[in-house]
Amino acid sequence: MRATVAELAKLPGVWRGGELEHASQPPVPTGHAALDRELPGGGWPSGTLTEVLHDGAGIGEVSFLAGALARASEGGRLIAWVNAPHLPYAPALGQSGLPLECCLVIRPPSRDDALWAAEQVLRSGACGAALLWLAHDDYACLRRLQMAAQAGRTLAVLYRTSPALRLSTPAHLRVLLEREEGWLKVSIPKRRGPPLEEPITLKVGRRSIRKKTKALDLAPRLRVVA
Amino acid sequence: MLWVALELPALPLQIVEQGGACGVPLVVSEGPAQRPTVACLNVVAKAAGIREGQAVAAAKALAGEMRVVARDPTVEREAVERLAAWAAQFTPVSCIDGPGIALEVSSTLRLFEGHARLCAAVRKGVRELGFQGSLGVAPTALAARTFARAAARGLPARSCLVPGELPERLSDLPLFLFDWPGKTLARLADLGILRIRDVLALPQEGLARRFGPEIAAFLDRLLGRLPDPRAPYVPPPRFRSRLELPAEAEGVEALLFPLRRMLAGFEGTMRGRGAGVQHLVLSLEHGRRARTRVPLEFSSTEREAEFILAIVREKLGRLTLRAPTIALELRAGALLSYVPRESTWLPGAREQALDRGRLIERLAARLGSNGVFGIAIAEDHRPEKHWGSDPFSREAEQTGKRIRPCSSPREKGSDPRPAWLLCRPQKLVTQEGIPTLQGELEMLAGPERIEAGWWDGEEVSRDYYVAANPRGETFWIFREHRGAQAWYLHGVFA
Repeated sequence: MRATVAELAKLPGVWRGGELEHASQPPVPTGHAALDRELPGGGWPSGTLTEVLHDGAGIGEVSFLAGALARASEGGRLIAWVNAPHLPYAPALGQSGLPLECCLVIRPPSRDDALWAAEQVLRSGACGAALLWLAHDDYACLRRLQMAAQAGRTLAVLYRTSPALRLSTPAHLRVLLEREEGWLKVSIPKRRGPPLEEPITLKVGRRSIRKKTKALDLAPRLRVVA
Repeated sequence: MLWVALELPALPLQIVEQGGACGVPLVVSEGPAQRPTVACLNVVAKAAGIREGQAVAAAKALAGEMRVVARDPTVEREAVERLAAWAAQFTPVSCIDGPGIALEVSSTLRLFEGHARLCAAVRKGVRELGFQGSLGVAPTALAARTFARAAARGLPARSCLVPGELPERLSDLPLFLFDWPGKTLARLADLGILRIRDVLALPQEGLARRFGPEIAAFLDRLLGRLPDPRAPYVPPPRFRSRLELPAEAEGVEALLFPLRRMLAGFEGTMRGRGAGVQHLVLSLEHGRRARTRVPLEFSSTEREAEFILAIVREKLGRLTLRAPTIALELRAGALLSYVPRESTWLPGAREQALDRGRLIERLAARLGSNGVFGIAIAEDHRPEKHWGSDPFSREAEQTGKRIRPCSSPREKGSDPRPAWLLCRPQKLVTQEGIPTLQGELEMLAGPERIEAGWWDGEEVSRDYYVAANPRGETFWIFREHRGAQAWYLHGVFA
C-alpha cells in the first residue's frame, strides 16, 4: 500500500492546491481563450453547478456565454432557460450562433415550480446547458441542484447577485462579472485550484456593438455623450 | 406442454381490497337477499370471530360495526379477464380457467430463463396488482390447477415438469381439490376414497360406469392421456379498468397507491399486446355522477407505469378536488404499436430525442403548456413579432400551429439585437429630453428606424438606439417616431 504523491494526484477529485483540477467530464470551451486558461479543465465544467454573480442587467452576462452555449447544444441537446428575467430574444440568439430549435424556455408560475423545473432539467440529461434564475438562496436547495447537475452531465449556470459572495455555496466554480470602462471584467472567487489574482478582461458586449455600427447618426435634438 | 395455473383464493374479497386494505371488519356476502351468508372476510373480521358460511346477521352481532359488500359475479369475471389480459405478457396462451387463469408457458420458457424465474415474475406481478395468488406448475392444465389449489390451502405440493411423474406427485393430495360434483365426492368418501392415489388405483371401466364417463375423462385429462385444449383469452380492442377505493379518499396523495396498481395492470396488458398508447384518460369518480377527468397526452407511444405515474402525479398535484374520490377509472384510446426502449451505454440520437420528449412532457404536466416553449424567428420587422414561441405540445404539431422557422436569419452580423426582450415596452423617464434609466443614457449606436405593420392595424414607427447608463448596463431603447415621441425601453443586452 505505498501510494506515491504522483499516484494520489491521479485519483478523481484529488489535485494539488497550486494546480487546477483535472475535470472528470469534458468541459465546454468558453470561447474566450483567456478565460479557458484560468478554468479547471480548460472550460465551463459540465456535470456540476457554476455560479455567475453579477449586479444589474445588461452587462453582457448572457452573451459572454454564447460560445459555450453553441458548443453545448451540439448533438441536438437542449439549452434550457429556466425562469429568465425577460424573454430570450430569438433574433439575438440566432445572431450569436445558437441553434434556435435547441432552446427550451421555461417560465414557471411560482418560485417552487422554478426550483422543481431546474432540478428536472438538470437531472434529465437531455439538456446540454441550463441557465437558471432562482429565488432560492439556501444551501440545501443549491446542494440539490448540484446533485442533479452531476446526474445529468449538464452545463448548469446559476445566476445570482453579488451579495451571494458572502454565502457559502456547493457549486464548484463561482464567477463574478463586473462592467468596467466598457469591458467585462471576470474574476473567479471560487474554483478548484489556486486563487486568481488578476481579473480577466473580456471583449464582449458594448465595445463590440460600437465596432459593428459605423455611423452614429443621431437625431439633432440629442446631446451625445460619447 | 407446461402449464402454470394461478389460483386466487377469496377473490371477491381481494377485488374489494385491491384499492387498499380496509381497516374495519369487511365481509363479502352471497346467497339470497333475505338471508345472506358470509362468503369471505378480511383479517379484522376473522379476529372478531366471524367465520365463512355464517349468516351476515350473526356476523353483525359479533362485530358490531361492519362493512358488507354483496358478491358480484360480473365484477369477478371482469377482474379475471383483466388478469388474463395482463398475463398475456408471459405467454401468448393465457386462458381463463374457472376462477383463475392458466398459462401455457413451454414456448416462452427460454425467454424467461426457466420456469422458476417465470413463476417468480408472475408472483411479483400479481402482488404489484394488489392480488394474492398461488401458483401450480404441471404438464397438464388440470394438474396445475390442482397444485395451485393445494398451495392455496397450505398443502404440500411440488411442481412437476414431466408427465411421467404426475401420478406420484398428485397421489397424496385430497380429492376435494377437484371441481367434482359434491354428490360424487360424498359417495367416494363413503367408500373410503379420499385421496387422488385411491381414485387412480380404481379400475377405469368401473369408475366410468359408477360415477359417469366425465369423471374418467377428467382423470385422463389430468394425467395427460387425453388432450385438453384451451382457448386463449382474447382481450377487447380497448383498455378500460376501474377500481373502487376501500374508503373515500380526500386529496390526491391517497390516490397514488391504487393508481400504481392500476397502471401496473395497464403496463402488463400493453406488454402482452406489444402495444402502447398516446392518449389516456383517468377519471376520478366522486359519487352522484360527479367526476374529474384527467386527460394524459404523450408525444410518443408510452406504456411504462413509472413514467405515466410521474406524469399523473404532476397533473394531480395541480388539481383541487371538489369532493372526495370513491373510484378510479382508466381508459386508453387507440392502442398503437410500441417499440421498446433499448438500454444502451452510448445513447444515440433516438434515445436522446425520447429523453427530450419526456422532459418536456414532464415539465408541461406541472407548469402547463404555456410555461414551456421553444423560440423561433418569424418573418416580421416589428421586434415584438420578429420572434415566435414554438409550442412543443402534440396538438400544436397536429394543427400545424407551429411557427415555420425562418430559413435564413437575416441579421447575421448586422444590426445588434438584445438577448432579453421585454414583453411590453417600458416607458422611460426623460430629463431635458434625454432618457434616463438609473442614470443618463448614452447612445452607443442608432438610430435604426423600424416602421412596419400599417397593414394590420398594429403599426409601429420607431427609432431604435443602443444606449448605456453610467453603470455600464446596455439597453435597447426606442423613441416613437410619431405622436408624443416618448422614449421606451424594449430590450436588455444581457
